[in-house]
Amino acid sequence: MSFLAFAFIIISLVTFVAAQLILKRAMEFSTPNGVRNSYFLSRVAIGVALMTVSFFLTLGLLQRFDLSYLYPFQGLSIIFITILAAVVLKEKLSARLGIGALLITAGIVLVSMS
Amino acid sequence: MQNRPSGFGNPWLQLGLSVACVFVSELLLKRGATDVAAPDSAFSWTGINGLASPLVWWAILLIIASFISWLYVLRYIPLSVAYPLSRVVDIVVPLGCWIFLGELISALRWCGIALVVIGLALVAKPIAQMEERL
Repeated sequence: MSFLAFAFIIISLVTFVAAQLILKRAMEFSTPNGVRNSYFLSRVAIGVALMTVSFFLTLGLLQRFDLSYLYPFQGLSIIFITILAAVVLKEKLSARLGIGALLITAGIVLVSMS
Repeated sequence: MQNRPSGFGNPWLQLGLSVACVFVSELLLKRGATDVAAPDSAFSWTGINGLASPLVWWAILLIIASFISWLYVLRYIPLSVAYPLSRVVDIVVPLGCWIFLGELISALRWCGIALVVIGLALVAKPIAQMEERL
């Protein structure tokens, strides 16, 4: 696999995870503040734009690789969420999360070698 | 979780529908992308040329449908239960690739997929609990 392909896989995952977090924040903000404000609308617009970027990058990758090759990489999104939760929300990582993340990473390495 | 509707409104049925929509949409996206693949053009890295395939449009409709069912599921089932169950797609998608797309999956790739699935099973519940707090 080329460096370019790997970069696109990572970008499509990161944009997807970022979109999820931004949309989640926007929905929480809308509960007390309503939806007719520029903060909410701009966040939703950014979230939708990021998801669109992720979708099209995936479509470009699917033209080049097996689905059974690309699909396991989605497991990495879980690791990005774990890291974000630890960094942004100062969550403590449990042993269970750490072992799970290691297994996912090992699995991805095997798939990329296949 | 009280007053759970039955019939088509049953949230467990909707969870199953959501997973089925994701599964079918992934296979349609792969088929559609292969049909119009232009790996020699740099522009095709953007994936926008994929819109030329009708299968891709069907897949987009299914993604929207799965999203609506998923939002409905979240009204009735806690994320820490629904999310780990939804990861069953990580098992059915590779199986679908093998059965319906005829992809040859080597022993090495099967082992990698298995490790990812076991890892996801370990982290799915703590992650969902984290998300509920996010």
